[in-house]
Amino acid sequence: MSACFHCHEPLPGEPVLARIGGEPCAFCCIGCRAAAEWIEQLGLGDYYRLRSAPARKAEQSTEASATWSRPELDRHVVRPLDGARSEVCLLIEGVRCAACVWLIERSLGALPGVAQVQVNAAAARCRVVWDPARTPLPALLDNLARTGYRALPLDARALDDARRRETRDALKRLAVAGFGSMQAMMYGVALYVGAFQDMDASTRELLRWIGFLLATPVVLYAARPFFAGALRNLRARRLGMDVPVALAVSLIYAASLAEALRGGAEVYFDSVSMFVFFLLLGRFLEMRARHRSGDLVDALARLTPMFADRCRADGTLERIGAAELRVGDVVHVAEGGGVPADGVLLDRACHVDEALLTGEAEPVARHPGDSLIAGSVLQDGPVRLRVERVAADTALAGIVALVHRAQAERPRLALAGERAAARFVARVLALTALTALGWSLLDPSRVLTATLAVLVVSCPCAFALAVPAAMTRALAVLAHRGVLVAHADAVEKLAEADHVVFDKTGTLTSPHVQQVGGDTAALALAAALARASSHPLARAIVDIAAGEDALPAATDVAAHPGMGVEGTVTGRRLRLGRADFALRGTLDAHALADAVVLADRHGVLATFHPRERLRDGAAACVHALQAQGLAVEVLSGDAAHRVGAIAQAIGAGQWHARQTPADKLARLRELRAEGARVIAVGDGINDAPVLAGADIAVAMGNGTPLAQASSDIVLTGGQLQALPEARRLAQQTLRILRQNHRWSLCYNLCVVPPAALGLVPPWLAAIGMSASSLLVVLNALRIGRAGPMPPAEAAALREVHA
Amino acid sequence: MTTMLILIPLTFLLLLVAGAAFFWAVNHEQFDDLDSAGLLPLTDHAPERPEPPEEPPP
Repeated sequence: MSACFHCHEPLPGEPVLARIGGEPCAFCCIGCRAAAEWIEQLGLGDYYRLRSAPARKAEQSTEASATWSRPELDRHVVRPLDGARSEVCLLIEGVRCAACVWLIERSLGALPGVAQVQVNAAAARCRVVWDPARTPLPALLDNLARTGYRALPLDARALDDARRRETRDALKRLAVAGFGSMQAMMYGVALYVGAFQDMDASTRELLRWIGFLLATPVVLYAARPFFAGALRNLRARRLGMDVPVALAVSLIYAASLAEALRGGAEVYFDSVSMFVFFLLLGRFLEMRARHRSGDLVDALARLTPMFADRCRADGTLERIGAAELRVGDVVHVAEGGGVPADGVLLDRACHVDEALLTGEAEPVARHPGDSLIAGSVLQDGPVRLRVERVAADTALAGIVALVHRAQAERPRLALAGERAAARFVARVLALTALTALGWSLLDPSRVLTATLAVLVVSCPCAFALAVPAAMTRALAVLAHRGVLVAHADAVEKLAEADHVVFDKTGTLTSPHVQQVGGDTAALALAAALARASSHPLARAIVDIAAGEDALPAATDVAAHPGMGVEGTVTGRRLRLGRADFALRGTLDAHALADAVVLADRHGVLATFHPRERLRDGAAACVHALQAQGLAVEVLSGDAAHRVGAIAQAIGAGQWHARQTPADKLARLRELRAEGARVIAVGDGINDAPVLAGADIAVAMGNGTPLAQASSDIVLTGGQLQALPEARRLAQQTLRILRQNHRWSLCYNLCVVPPAALGLVPPWLAAIGMSASSLLVVLNALRIGRAGPMPPAEAAALREVHA
Repeated sequence: MTTMLILIPLTFLLLLVAGAAFFWAVNHEQFDDLDSAGLLPLTDHAPERPEPPEEPPP
């Protein structure tokens, strides 16, 4: 056995042992053992059999969940229901698979007074209805922490879960349209067949009115979103997708009703129901994809610290929620702690990690009187600061506002694309109007019959299917290849893009360390200690030691946040971390300013310099994109020599260093002003505004939630090679979409003139409609079939792999 | 013809029942969590409310 029973991480040389369910099990750390024992004691040991993904490494909780019992904070997050019950919405980290959902529901449900637990795995949210008098909120959080999940109570407003309402609403409408159209189709077939077999008039009348009865809820209830959307579009004075759809639905429905009333030739209640059903199905799938891609509010909640230590007048500290801070308060920030609000540094110089805003990985020095930014992490301390800006005024909130604004700007740009889609239906409607006009001049008694025939024969089914069928197929194929598309129109824009802007840190590169001094034995010692830390550089040290034999075990490990790790390995007391920490100030540490140092009592054993490694497949991705004819550019907040080296390594044509998020956004605007259509690829919080402002935004799956929430496409596997592949697929999708449209146009050209002349019998119209719909669906299924790769691109990929 | 007059209202009735059942299910959270329910039959013993251990581990 070489992996931890709980989290499947590699075991240290001397693992922690315990008996779980009568079996001896090995664990990587005490936290994982405690979680497994707790789960076993709850009688939920089945979790380990049911899960399909390993658990998150359990941490010994350091956060004081007791702070949540403060009434001021409680009011923010808990909403009282009727009687003694209250409800709270928790954001849960570490939900990996369905078994996690099961475990959370069971373990919380076992607590006294808990009435209801609902976990939404996709959104990582959990709603609990319980009696706070019997189990206080901190007990709920403690229970989750013991089980190995980190829970964060969200603002009580999150309980009005807009997504849940949206999903339920969409499901109901879809069901009504589905049931209705199936039934209407049955009676429709009877009518078509009846036309051959001389159905008597009274039966025909009966079947028609049944069709009307079935189509009515579909049109009046299920199709309401289209009418509402059309109304919104008209109020905003623009012609969106919804206007022609709503017009076609209401026209077919009203005209069929008029025909039924006067006993005319044809009614099309079945067609209108099918039309609505297919359109709703397309929207439903799109909504599901959108919900999977993350939420801005949750992303922000994860970034800002929840608590602050406020200094009272007498110098003592009180722990309060960050939301309670007021301007002028003095707060204490411990070493390794997050800054809770924007403020001015009061007593001593310190270093802070502001990667959040600048993307700069190295800590920056701040002196008394300088301002600190909410969300940055203190490297050495403790310090005190006076709060200057809170909540919505902080720089972090500013970034989020920037994201919102960039997102809001986009619809205006996307308008052109939407118009193209609306044009098809508009054309059909114009044709219908023309037919109506022609017949009203020739023979007013046949106006209704002929216009209705044109409307039905020409547009709905093939049109309604052409886009959703191709899009659904494309989204499914892309998801299968690790590309999650949040907005369906992203496919079209991806195919049309001609420019790619990459962020460097975390996107093109991944963190890496280079060992300078010391031998492999020292590396093994460093890795043994580094395993106790979750810092990216510590992970990188463990990574380079992965090839070594069994690592020694570290005991008495103490982590000093922002500084490093201390522990005993093979009988020696060692320190790993920043030079001044590791050397205990005995040597001049300035020469090793940004290095990670392993030292014992006598001096330096090994030094590790932070480096960046080109991410696997980055060069292949860039070459393939260039072979597709895209211009590639690198924008980074990092220093010029590092950006230049990376740009050269991947062969990017242009690069810009030392870019703030605002600079990046400006560069993006400049590109767009020149007529370029830009794909932005990024992963960090500082990339979020750029992502939101690009024509199409791509986030890395292991990037920050904020970046994911503001992007159109998420590369779930973190595989850059998936991007050129996705673009090829998007182009294929567009090609097939155009084929489908061209086919419907051809079909219309052949069928509409006879229909306008009143020559098409209903059974022929039905067969034509079904055949054209079938053809459209079959054509859409060709998306994702391995097509020949363009030779230039294949050569680029081969060259890189060789 | 008479069979039709009986069967058609019957289909309507069934349709209404099915629709109402679906609406009820959606409103009663049956579609909110589609992940964990699938695991229930796989557990050996599924106590409705497992008792928490008296003494939490240190």
